Amino acid sequence: MTATLTESGSLVVAPDARRPGFVEALRAEWVKLRTVRSTWWTLIAAFVLGAGLTILMCWGNADWLASPEADESPGSFITWGMMIAQITAVVLGALVVTTEYGTGMIRSTFAAVPSRGRVLAAKSVVLVAVLFVVGTVTALAGYLGGNYFLDREGIGMALEGDVLRSMYGSGLFLAGIGLFTVAVGFLLRHTAGTISVVLALMLILGNMVNLVPGTFGEWLTKLMPGNAGSVVATPVSFNPDLLDAWTGFGVFVAEIAVLLAAAYVVLRRRDA
Amino acid sequence: MIRAHALTKRFATEKGQSRVAVDGIDFVVEPGRVTGFLGPNGAGKSTTMRMILGLDAPTSGTVSVNGHRYAAAPAPLREIGALLDAHAIHPGRSARDHLRWMAASNGIPTTRVGEVLELVGLEAVAGQRAGRYSLGMGQRLGIAAAMLGDPPVVVLDEPVNGLDPEGIRWVRTFARQLADEGRTVFISSHLMSEMALMADHLLVIGRGSILADCSMSEFMSDHAASYVRVKAPALGDVGNLLTGRGLEVSRVEDELRVVGLDASAVGELVFRHGLVLHELTLVLSSLEDAFMALTADSVEYHAATEPTATEPTATERARSGARR
Repeated sequence: MTATLTESGSLVVAPDARRPGFVEALRAEWVKLRTVRSTWWTLIAAFVLGAGLTILMCWGNADWLASPEADESPGSFITWGMMIAQITAVVLGALVVTTEYGTGMIRSTFAAVPSRGRVLAAKSVVLVAVLFVVGTVTALAGYLGGNYFLDREGIGMALEGDVLRSMYGSGLFLAGIGLFTVAVGFLLRHTAGTISVVLALMLILGNMVNLVPGTFGEWLTKLMPGNAGSVVATPVSFNPDLLDAWTGFGVFVAEIAVLLAAAYVVLRRRDA
Repeated sequence: MIRAHALTKRFATEKGQSRVAVDGIDFVVEPGRVTGFLGPNGAGKSTTMRMILGLDAPTSGTVSVNGHRYAAAPAPLREIGALLDAHAIHPGRSARDHLRWMAASNGIPTTRVGEVLELVGLEAVAGQRAGRYSLGMGQRLGIAAAMLGDPPVVVLDEPVNGLDPEGIRWVRTFARQLADEGRTVFISSHLMSEMALMADHLLVIGRGSILADCSMSEFMSDHAASYVRVKAPALGDVGNLLTGRGLEVSRVEDELRVVGLDASAVGELVFRHGLVLHELTLVLSSLEDAFMALTADSVEYHAATEPTATEPTATERARSGARR
């Protein structure tokens, strides 16, 4: 019991042993995330697409990659599925935010945790942790399966250096994509809108800026969030003109930070 | 205790103008009684409740719960429990899981989840996805969520919406019990008849302003007009007699309506003058009528068929109603 009766007959709140803070907000978001089926379906899809397509691509291309005609590196194929699995990170990132707006549950959330910044931070941390783990595990599974076929053709790769980096890099990439979508989700508050905008930005616009001529077009291509952030998830990028892995990821993180800051400002000002 | 001071909320409309939803209201919701928050749809009830919970920021003025702003509460769910609308729940999550995340957010022990489920009678279906619940079950879950932190202040926005008669009685008894325990109970409704049975105190709001802030009995005597219905063969003679005594008498079809004297006094007066009566009844206007009379001018969205539709502003109102 937390409330007690005073002499005047009114209930007052007894001071609690522990004042809830960020840890409680994290726990709440963790319970929320794992108690809806959509989370599990999305994560299973991430694993099946991410690992499955990598294995499929390695199986189908191993003999070509081992042949003298090959003009691509096997390193570009060993995390191939993550390019598709990023879509599931977009979906999950959108769902954790926009379903709350869609169902009106966001009001329960802010009634329970009035600090908007704390809600934004807790959702972000939980999603980043889950996507990092799932992304890394998926990339490892894809590597194990895909490398089996590459090994058979004598072009297998050891789990070290850039290959190893691309494993946890895949986790970082998915986490980054998810976080990017969380920020957009808080700005747009609409599931379909959020998913469309982020996918268009990552997949369609990211490729279309290639058509912009000159140095300006080159830089635009390098700096688009999907392009800058994706290099860390592969040992050898298909596109040699992109920024290198960690520079690119740094740019991606900076872009996410700007979006999150915008989401925070809007979230604080807007009525729920 | 909930205290509002000069509480104001303006919304920007599409035309770039602003519409006042809550217009500088002052009120205090005291503990130990059920306070009914009554007003027509669009009067500002929900906006006021959202401001109490810090969901909407007031344009100006303040509202405090237990002496401080809601957002400043160290453990908000232990201070105020709220049912805002039954849809503030993810349809894919079970009732138990919904209560579990809420408990976790405020450091409330998980054992409390079972207690509140039992309190509202949802234990048997607690594992089902909330999307499958009827409106009534959703309301019960919302009330369970409100009671999770055992709060001294309970705010319920339209709690009987969609409930069957048994459910309505349950909410009524429950609200009474909370008030008897010394809690502050603040319940909104647009149905006067419901409030009449539930509330001790009334706060009536219309077009963003407080129209009445008084006890239920005061409200009845101030606003609920009563009259004595008189039917007699010589209606004209009885009418003259009563008006001769300075009473307010009106004739409606084959009856007289007398205001300002009780039925027995009317009967005695008529008897002393040797006139025959066929009927003598005290007619009490219902609280619903009183409420309608009080808020008649402040109803935001009249039906187009009502006489008020002839007012020049009525079509504009109807249009803004349709937009919502």
